[in-house]
Amino acid sequence: MNTDQPAIEIKDLVYRYGRAEAGHGFNLTVPRGKCYALFGRNGAGKTTTMKCLLSLLRPKSGTVRVFGMDPRKDEVAVKSRLAYVPDSVAFYPWMSVRDTLNYFASFRKHWNLKLEGELLERFRLEPAKNVNALSKGQKTQLALMTAVCPEPDLLILDEPTSGLDPIVRREFIETVIGAYQEGDPGNRTVFVSTHLITEFEGLIDEFTIMDAGKDVVRMNADEAREKYQKIRARFEHEVPKLDLPGALSSRIRGRELEVIVNGGGSAIMELLRAQSPEELTSESLRLEEIFSATLQ
Amino acid sequence: MLIQLNFKSGKPVYVQVVDQIKSAAASGALKPGEALPSIRPLAEELRVNRNTIAKAYGELESQGVIESRHGKGCFLSENHSPLKKDIRRKMLIEEIDQAVVQAHNLQFTREEFQKLVEERFDAMEKKQSQNTGGAQ
Repeated sequence: MNTDQPAIEIKDLVYRYGRAEAGHGFNLTVPRGKCYALFGRNGAGKTTTMKCLLSLLRPKSGTVRVFGMDPRKDEVAVKSRLAYVPDSVAFYPWMSVRDTLNYFASFRKHWNLKLEGELLERFRLEPAKNVNALSKGQKTQLALMTAVCPEPDLLILDEPTSGLDPIVRREFIETVIGAYQEGDPGNRTVFVSTHLITEFEGLIDEFTIMDAGKDVVRMNADEAREKYQKIRARFEHEVPKLDLPGALSSRIRGRELEVIVNGGGSAIMELLRAQSPEELTSESLRLEEIFSATLQ
Repeated sequence: MLIQLNFKSGKPVYVQVVDQIKSAAASGALKPGEALPSIRPLAEELRVNRNTIAKAYGELESQGVIESRHGKGCFLSENHSPLKKDIRRKMLIEEIDQAVVQAHNLQFTREEFQKLVEERFDAMEKKQSQNTGGAQ
């Protein structure tokens, strides 16, 4: 097994038709053992990308590889190494929790029964209960169990915690960190798409922001927070007219200037300082703010 | 020991964990030989990637701040006399540098800043003597 091979590699993927220009595809490399996030507005193509990984959709052009394999040609081999939690989960309505777990386990070579027991207890799920009687949160917890118990090399989460209460969301993230990652640290890869960026912030090693089917920004989370800064300056009278090279955006409110930069923050601080502002501060942006700054 | 992460500091998350454990060791909040939280519960509690905590602990171990005992977890090194003066000095310098930059931004002169430092020292000492007096 080639361990340098990325968990996911997507090159020049095009699945948009109509007005979108052809030729500009989507690129993504998810290294093994990392938690990788895919951010984008509604309709940016996140779910479509995930469906290409699962061979649920056929891309128009480009290549998709999961552990070096083509999900269309090696569907069974690819699916045996990953698990997927979609945004809305559906189970067979006549099954109990126990039946559902057995059903999912029957497709897997490996199923961690000890983990199953721990998670049933943690989520307070009654095995005999019919899945129809479960709340939305409990259904998501059951879906997470069916994804984590086979201990796959890759866990794909598509908007997994939307519409859930804060306690379920917290338990969900803790389960991904603890029960999933801990099993084989360094080898378990998470690929997650979410709008709840702040909640997943600590988990994310690297991310891609996508827009209209294309990758706009690809970064390491720590580096991003180091480079993206919000600089605020307040002047005694009015904000002087300044050329701020490299600024992503700037906004003037009264005597205050707010500048957002992606790198080069210290040079802009120097420029502003030379204008003797009353106050000059800078802070790093969180991932959610980086997302907004990129797409606005 | 309480670890608080700040995603607006621009500091890598694992560095924040390393720095805060060193501070806890320097201040005595963690004592030599005392156990550190295991990686998994700490990662779950802070809701950060498990590998981030593992990286922080690896860094602390390579610096000799903590020791991992097989199967038992990580402990603050026994011979860990509160951090060596030069390390503590470095930690303090980082904080002072930030305050100096802030003083500059807020347009305080060197003299004003130094005077303010003196004042704060006096205020803290006064508060401390009141507290210890009150507790006894």
